[in-house]
Amino acid sequence: MRRTVILYFKLIGIQIRSQLEYRVSFLMDVVSTFILNFSYFVALALILERFGTVAGWTLGDLAFLAGLAEMGFGLMDLVFSGFDPDGFSQFVRLGKFDQMLLRPVNISLQVFGSRFLVRRLGRFVEGCVIFGIGAGLAHIQWTLGKVLYLPVVLLSIVAGMGALFVVGGTLIFWTVQPVVVVNIVTYGGNELMSYPITIYPRWIQGFFTYVIPLVFLNYLPGLYFLNKPGLLDFPPIFSFAAPFAAALMLFLAFQFWRFGLKHYQSTGT
Amino acid sequence: MIPKMIDVKHLTKTFRQADHKRDLAGTLRQLVAPKYREIKAVEDVSFSLDRGEFVGYLGPNGAGKSTTIKMLTGLLVPSAGEVLVDGMIPWKQRTQYVARIGAVFGQRSSLWWDLPVIDSLELLQSLYKIPAQRFKSNLAEYRALLQLDEFLGSPVRSLSLGQRMRAELCAALLHDPKLLFLDEPTIGLDVVAKERIRRFVQHINRERETTIILTTHDLSDIERLCKRVIILDHGRILYDGLLQTLVERFEGEHLIRLTLVNSPQLIAFDGLRLVSSDGIQAVYAYDHHSLSGAEALRKLQEKYEVIDFELVRPSVEETIRRIYEEKLLLEPPPGS
Repeated sequence: MRRTVILYFKLIGIQIRSQLEYRVSFLMDVVSTFILNFSYFVALALILERFGTVAGWTLGDLAFLAGLAEMGFGLMDLVFSGFDPDGFSQFVRLGKFDQMLLRPVNISLQVFGSRFLVRRLGRFVEGCVIFGIGAGLAHIQWTLGKVLYLPVVLLSIVAGMGALFVVGGTLIFWTVQPVVVVNIVTYGGNELMSYPITIYPRWIQGFFTYVIPLVFLNYLPGLYFLNKPGLLDFPPIFSFAAPFAAALMLFLAFQFWRFGLKHYQSTGT
Repeated sequence: MIPKMIDVKHLTKTFRQADHKRDLAGTLRQLVAPKYREIKAVEDVSFSLDRGEFVGYLGPNGAGKSTTIKMLTGLLVPSAGEVLVDGMIPWKQRTQYVARIGAVFGQRSSLWWDLPVIDSLELLQSLYKIPAQRFKSNLAEYRALLQLDEFLGSPVRSLSLGQRMRAELCAALLHDPKLLFLDEPTIGLDVVAKERIRRFVQHINRERETTIILTTHDLSDIERLCKRVIILDHGRILYDGLLQTLVERFEGEHLIRLTLVNSPQLIAFDGLRLVSSDGIQAVYAYDHHSLSGAEALRKLQEKYEVIDFELVRPSVEETIRRIYEEKLLLEPPPGS
């Protein structure tokens, strides 16, 4: 375990140092990621100025929800960059994945350590800003429970969304090229989580509750923080299901990963 | 009996390839009712290697060389057959197994592109859990043998191809592998750089008794380094034995180049075939199995006035090319 942690930080350290070799491009990436994502929020704010609320949610409520989703996604995008289907596809095609299989270290650990896109911190910072604005505007009544639960929710989003990246990365073992449908659930899923789930048609709600349970990661915990009554078929206790949903997603994703790895070793590319 | 380093029995790898026309209709049909074609990349390959052997693994493109290497390194699971390397099954105990082998792929890098060479080597020390003392002494030895000092602190991306290959070799050997796979280690290098690499791997093979499997298209590598060769074509072994024996059996005609006093009318005679003539220069070819060089020269001297001569043997490269092109090994050897 200790060795795993040390190796992980060594591999990550190498990634960060490599990226710092290109300082200017690195800074420009961070800044542009921030601006790009923040502009979505500005657009939303402008729309809400005219319409007031969305399904009873004020701009503050929405910013809180979107900020939480963005922070989680930004962090996930950083930690799980190795599994990001676009990057992982390149990795497999260039034979770098084979190189990793030739090293006497757990393969998932190596994939985690193979890419760590620090520029994606731009998205995390942007999420923090929006979250801050939201928490202020929505006048959240902070309790000890909420303060303690917030990091749990954040980590759950990281793990749950990371699971989707792992699934998308695993599909590369069959397709070699990234599968576009995966982006719909990862990037699309993140967009979707930025709004209350109730604004969507029933089938979308059902899909993101029972098939890919993103609703447990952001919306349901959000109700707890914002002191809102649940509108779905779930009693308030489900606001605390986030870590369980995330753990289950991550567990299943890595089962699939192991299955995909077996397939890769029997077919090559 | 000393156990073998590598023991391969009836190794077979079959790939399923999507079989469809490359038009839209064909692609759609493939989605609905997929059809596959079986492709045998490697078929019933058996061989064994002793500790410390240095063997050349040859074959034209698509012969199944890299598929075999992938199975021997544990990257690929065979469809049938057995592989035992140093008592282990490569794809079953991956992490334990790969700690004992090393691999250099000339076309790929195992180093971290943007970092100084030394940082990559130190990271490999952690990945392979190489004890500090071992790491130090190995690094010192390789630094001297491969002359790494001049670029140890430079980022890998700035190295010349020759420098990079030297760094790759060092990287692959820091953990004292018992078995080393070399795939095109001299590709794209100039004569001096090639020679340096060859001398180094020969040293490793002799001093450390590292078993080495070399795949390359550069037959001068093979000639220089390997006594034994295994030749593969269409997934099957065509030949497994001494390079020397192979050359003796399949070498084409030897040539004799002559410089003559005047320009006589030249003819073919007595097993001597006239290849070309140009004024006082002439080239004859003869089958060295039935005629010795001395006899050939004597016969020519009886007929013509020779000032100068040169005997030319075909290169190993030509011999091996002849074997592939004319499928010489597919026919049973005469008298069997």
